[in-house]
Amino acid sequence: MIITEEIKISDNGFVFNSRTGDSFNLNPFGLNIIKLIAEKKEFEQIKEKVLDEYDISDLTFEKDFYEFCALLKHHQIILQDNPLEFK
Amino acid sequence: MQKMKITIAVTGLNNTDNPGPGVPVIRSLKESSAFEPIIIGLVYENLEPGIYMEDLCDKIFQIPYPSTGSEELLERIEDIHQREKIDVLIPNFDAELFSFMKNEKRLLEKGIHTFLPTLKQFQERDKDRLPDYGKKYGIKVPGSINMGSMNQISEIKEKFDYPVMVKGKFYDAYLAYNPEQVKQAFNKISSKWGLPVIAQEFIKGTEVNVVALGDGQGNTIAAVPMRKQYITDKGKAWGGITLSDEKMLNLTRQLIRKTKWKGGMELEMIKTMQNEYYLIEINPRIPAWVYLAVGAGQNIPEALVKLALEQEVAPMEDYESGKMFVRYSYDMIVDLEKFEKISMNREI
Repeated sequence: MIITEEIKISDNGFVFNSRTGDSFNLNPFGLNIIKLIAEKKEFEQIKEKVLDEYDISDLTFEKDFYEFCALLKHHQIILQDNPLEFK
Repeated sequence: MQKMKITIAVTGLNNTDNPGPGVPVIRSLKESSAFEPIIIGLVYENLEPGIYMEDLCDKIFQIPYPSTGSEELLERIEDIHQREKIDVLIPNFDAELFSFMKNEKRLLEKGIHTFLPTLKQFQERDKDRLPDYGKKYGIKVPGSINMGSMNQISEIKEKFDYPVMVKGKFYDAYLAYNPEQVKQAFNKISSKWGLPVIAQEFIKGTEVNVVALGDGQGNTIAAVPMRKQYITDKGKAWGGITLSDEKMLNLTRQLIRKTKWKGGMELEMIKTMQNEYYLIEINPRIPAWVYLAVGAGQNIPEALVKLALEQEVAPMEDYESGKMFVRYSYDMIVDLEKFEKISMNREI
């Protein structure tokens, strides 16, 4: 997964797509995740970090992460050639 | 560098809820690093807000509507020129462009420079010719039917799915979901703007626009894409943001190269979910949101004046994406004397 170069992410969670003109507000958890994606962390690394920090199950994380990534893809924030790449 | 003193006449000071580009064009010129402009405001109505804005125009003259005849309009411009010595004239209304384009040489002989599209460029991008335009220049456009009478409304469902856009040749557009709504729009538009009324395929997507400047040789001197963020009920942008969309810029550059477009222009496009771009309209002049382009780094009115004066202008490639404009309305308190002067003397 690659965050497209047109995406600007501010420290307070404001995301701006300069290609489409769309902007989004992320909550701190979403901001955490998108930063990890931006740092090109692998799915397993992100999962490990999140499970360390938050009291959630594997399954809940995977489900929420999948939904979040689908949303990022829908809004052209990430490029994802292989739809199963984050699995 | 010393700035060049220059007198520039500008129309379109109607900063209403359907704003003309005059006021933003003047603001841009006043920020020019090359010119120290004396601004002559040309107005049609005595309540155009630009008349009453402090420090905007050095002089203001009322001019007759082009509909009263080109000759009358030209004579008035020449009369003003005798007194003020206009170096460059920037017309900002679609309706007046024809008169000025047709009399470009006559104006130049008097020393008034313009930088306008050719008549051919102006006419071939007419809304009722858009499908041919798309074919000729290899750009996607929505399908359309030019309706000369209401009998043709039945043709719509054979060609497109509802809803459709119903548009006037010059102005006005309504979204119609069924033949009955097309009829209503047809009556409204034809009574105001004449025939044909255009039924245009409705393309679902985001409206995006580009303000651009062509040098008449096929080169794009400036181009800034924008997405409307806040749209009034007249379809006008009340807020917008610059985009970094290379595909839109390439489309613009290609079109300017193929058409050898001369002057300012606004491309109105729809971007679909599949990232396809459909050209829905070309406005043959600088749009009212041009000051956003200046804020983002491209002073298009300044470049247009340079081109009009046959000065060298290097293409501007860079601008800042994510720059926004937000319009506002503002009540000015005006003394009666100013209104009296423009009403009685036709000048201030």
